[in-house]
Amino acid sequence: MEGRPAEDAVLVERAQHGDTEAYGELVRRYQALATRTAYVITGRPAEAEDAAQDGFTKAYFALGRFRTGAPFRPWLLRIVANEAKNRRKAAGRRATVDLSVAEDRPSGDTALSPEEAALASERRTFVLGALGRLRQEDRLVIAYRYFMQLSEAEMALALGCARGTVKSRLSRALARLREIAGGEATTGD
Amino acid sequence: MTERLEERDLERTLSDIGGRLDGPKRDLWPAVRARIAERRAQPWWSRLSFDRRTLAPIVATLAIILVAAFVLTPDLAARAAQVLGLPGVQIYRVPQTPTTRPTAAALTFAGQRVATAAEAGLIAGFTVRTPASLGDPSAIYVETAPVRVTIVYASVKGIPVSPQAGVSALVVEVKGTLETQVMAKAIGPGTTLDAVPLGDGVAYYLAGQPHQFFFRDSEGKTQPETLRLAGNTLLWTDGGVTYRLEAQVGLGEAVRIASSLR
Repeated sequence: MEGRPAEDAVLVERAQHGDTEAYGELVRRYQALATRTAYVITGRPAEAEDAAQDGFTKAYFALGRFRTGAPFRPWLLRIVANEAKNRRKAAGRRATVDLSVAEDRPSGDTALSPEEAALASERRTFVLGALGRLRQEDRLVIAYRYFMQLSEAEMALALGCARGTVKSRLSRALARLREIAGGEATTGD
Repeated sequence: MTERLEERDLERTLSDIGGRLDGPKRDLWPAVRARIAERRAQPWWSRLSFDRRTLAPIVATLAIILVAAFVLTPDLAARAAQVLGLPGVQIYRVPQTPTTRPTAAALTFAGQRVATAAEAGLIAGFTVRTPASLGDPSAIYVETAPVRVTIVYASVKGIPVSPQAGVSALVVEVKGTLETQVMAKAIGPGTTLDAVPLGDGVAYYLAGQPHQFFFRDSEGKTQPETLRLAGNTLLWTDGGVTYRLEAQVGLGEAVRIASSLR
């Protein structure tokens, strides 16, 4: 983790000086993160990938405005998130999204007993349903923290807010998630 | 699920979901590279996203129409400066530019020579920044009436020595106001004036036929000894400081140099 910012900075500087292959390295490094960010907003894998590509393209042309020494990752995610939001807005789609694709993916929790695995799966379905009904801003702050493990400082940059407000925004988003989940719990079964 | 999720379970479940979110199965770089190439082939204004920066070229275009349409009176010039957003700079459109002004050999720099940009900043009263892409300056001069910092790059690899300035690049920084014009330019029909987006604002690029350039003193009077011809020039303002880059480079390179201010 310590080496990454410096390496990003080197690649960014090379890209700023016209080395497109250096930018290619940055794309490969962050394509998973960028696509996940867009997916959390759009709820559609194909659209998320397209938004991520456009985000990377826009970020490339904005490299001249990138502040030397700033972390590249949250700067990029902010551009990608905006791209995904714009697409969703332009499409005029409903507020909820379907994130159920995350349910189908395998993970490393092989140590769980069949009963525990079944319970975990039930919880995922339950939380995913609630996440999909959450406001976009709340979903994004939760995703940055739990899906992408961004630090508070990175979250502040990616969300475009002061570092001091990240905690309160996350706390409010989790409270709303619990509220929705609570509502589902009482009406669900 | 008939029970409310405990906070710990909720956080664990969220992390679990995060681990299951897949990235793209293929390498996105070839597709991104193709999009970059496609956008490069488009005119610069179509590359802008629809945010507040989109307004910059529109404002710039209006400003250029204003500049190009009139031989500016001082009043109009002040208004043009306001529209251009370049405090301290006055641009005149003239029917013809003389070609017999002194060139490189006669060019000298006024003011106190200092060793570093930081030292220049202390005297000038504002942060003096230098374009990182030009490397270390050969010399820095500070004048105080009016305040003006001149940064000289005698020889920069890849940038020819200008026949007008006698050096590869010159950067002038002033903290001008709309009322006190620190420098002025007279551009003839052979000089083009283009607006380009730079950062959150607009830069103005003068190219083609060399234009006339001169400084004004603290009372706004022309300093005739500074009158000379100037080559390709980029003008922009950032943080209340107006910058002037003179170098025989194309528009793209000039913008790149301007973007590297540190």
